[in-house]
Amino acid sequence: MSELVKEQIKVLIDGKECYCEKGEYLYDVAKRNDIFIPVLCRSDAFEDHRACCRVCIVEVETRGKSKVVTSCVYPIEEECTVYTQSEKIKEERAVVMALLAHRAPDSDVIGGMAEGMGGTEGFARLTPLEAGKCILCGLCVQACDSLGTGAISTVLRGTEKRVDTPYSNPSKACIGCLSCANVCPTGEIVFEENEKTRTIWKREFELVYCEECGALMGTKEMLERAAAETGVETPKVCDACRKKAMADEMMHTYRFV
Amino acid sequence: MVSAEEVARIIEAYPADRRFALAAMQDMQNEFNYVPEEGLEMLAEHLGCPIAQLFAMATFYKALSLTPKGKHIIKICNGTACHIRGAMNLVTGVKRELNIEPGETTEDGLFSVEIVNCVGSCALAPVMLVDGIYHNKLRVEQVPGIIDSYRAKDGEQHD
Repeated sequence: MSELVKEQIKVLIDGKECYCEKGEYLYDVAKRNDIFIPVLCRSDAFEDHRACCRVCIVEVETRGKSKVVTSCVYPIEEECTVYTQSEKIKEERAVVMALLAHRAPDSDVIGGMAEGMGGTEGFARLTPLEAGKCILCGLCVQACDSLGTGAISTVLRGTEKRVDTPYSNPSKACIGCLSCANVCPTGEIVFEENEKTRTIWKREFELVYCEECGALMGTKEMLERAAAETGVETPKVCDACRKKAMADEMMHTYRFV
Repeated sequence: MVSAEEVARIIEAYPADRRFALAAMQDMQNEFNYVPEEGLEMLAEHLGCPIAQLFAMATFYKALSLTPKGKHIIKICNGTACHIRGAMNLVTGVKRELNIEPGETTEDGLFSVEIVNCVGSCALAPVMLVDGIYHNKLRVEQVPGIIDSYRAKDGEQHD
C-alpha cells in the first residue's frame, strides 16, 4: 500500500459496507454513502461542528459494546457497526426532537421533524418557551466569527441566553452579509429587504447593483470589506460581468493567434 | 463618569492577548463598580478582538456588571441552609428598607442587592454580607440597623 493512501476502516452502517479513513466523522461517512442522518446544527461550511442539537445521535457497536454517540463529531477509530434507526435511537431522537420543539415552538422545521419522529405526545406537562425558533446552536455566531466580522455573540446565560449584538444596538462591525441568516437551521434570524436597502440586526444597509447587468451584488459594506481584505478596488460590476469583460479582452488580444 | 485615561491605564497594564480580557474587565469592575461601554470598546481595540466576544463574557459572568453597581453591595445568601432559616424574609426586609429588588441599585447609588447561592457559612444561617462583612444569624428586625450603620458611615465621611 502506498504511503499516500491511508488505511481504510470498514464500517457497517445500517447493514451497508462503507469505508473511511481513520478519524473521519461518522456523519460524513454516512452522508457519502447516501445514508440519511437527520441534523439541525451541522453545517458543511465549517470543519468543527457544534454537536449541540443532538439530533444526529446514532448507535455505534464496537467489540460487542454498544453506545449512543453524536455522529457529527464522532471520529471513527476502528471497525464498527452503526445503527441509525435502531429502536433505541428512534426513541431517544424522538425525545430530543420533542424537547427542541418545546424550546423553539415557532419553528416549522423542528415541528415537522418532531412530528415525523413520533410527535410531542407525552410532553404535555412541558410549557413551550416563548423563544421563537432559536435553539441556541450558535451556528450564526460561528459563521460571523469565521468571516472575521464578529458582530454577534451569545449574551447572558442559562435560561436568558440568546444571540444578539452588543447592547442590542446596531453593530458597527456587521456588514449585512446574511451569513448568519443563511446558516441558521430554523430560520430564526430575519432580515428585511427592499430595492434599495437591507435591514438586519436593526441596522440598515445600502444595496449595490452591478453597473453592467443590474444584478444584486450585496451591501456596500460587504463589497468594501471584501475589497479591503483582498487589496483590490471596490468592484463596480458583478462577477459574471467581470468575467465577460475579461473574456472579451482576451478574445481581442488573441484574435490573430 | 469614566474617563478614557483611567480605562486606558487599566487596559494597558495587560499585554494585547485575548486571555487577559477577563482580568482587565474585572479590574474595570473593581475600579468603576461596573464595566463601561467605552471600556469594552477600548479593550476590544487593544486586544484586537470583536467587542461582541467581550460583551458575551461580560454578560456571562455575574461578577461583571454592565450597569453601575452601588457603593455598598449587599449579598443575601439563599443557599439551602439560609433559605430554610428564612433568607427570603431578609430579602423582603431589605426591600422594605431600600425599596429595590435583588439585582437592582438604589437611586442614590449607595446600595446594590444580590441574592447569592451559599457563602459557605451554613452554620451561621441566615447570612447577609455587606461589602464582604458577614452579618450572621440575622433576624429581619436587625436589617434596618445594619443598613443605617452604613448610611451613617458615609454621612460621617461627607462631613
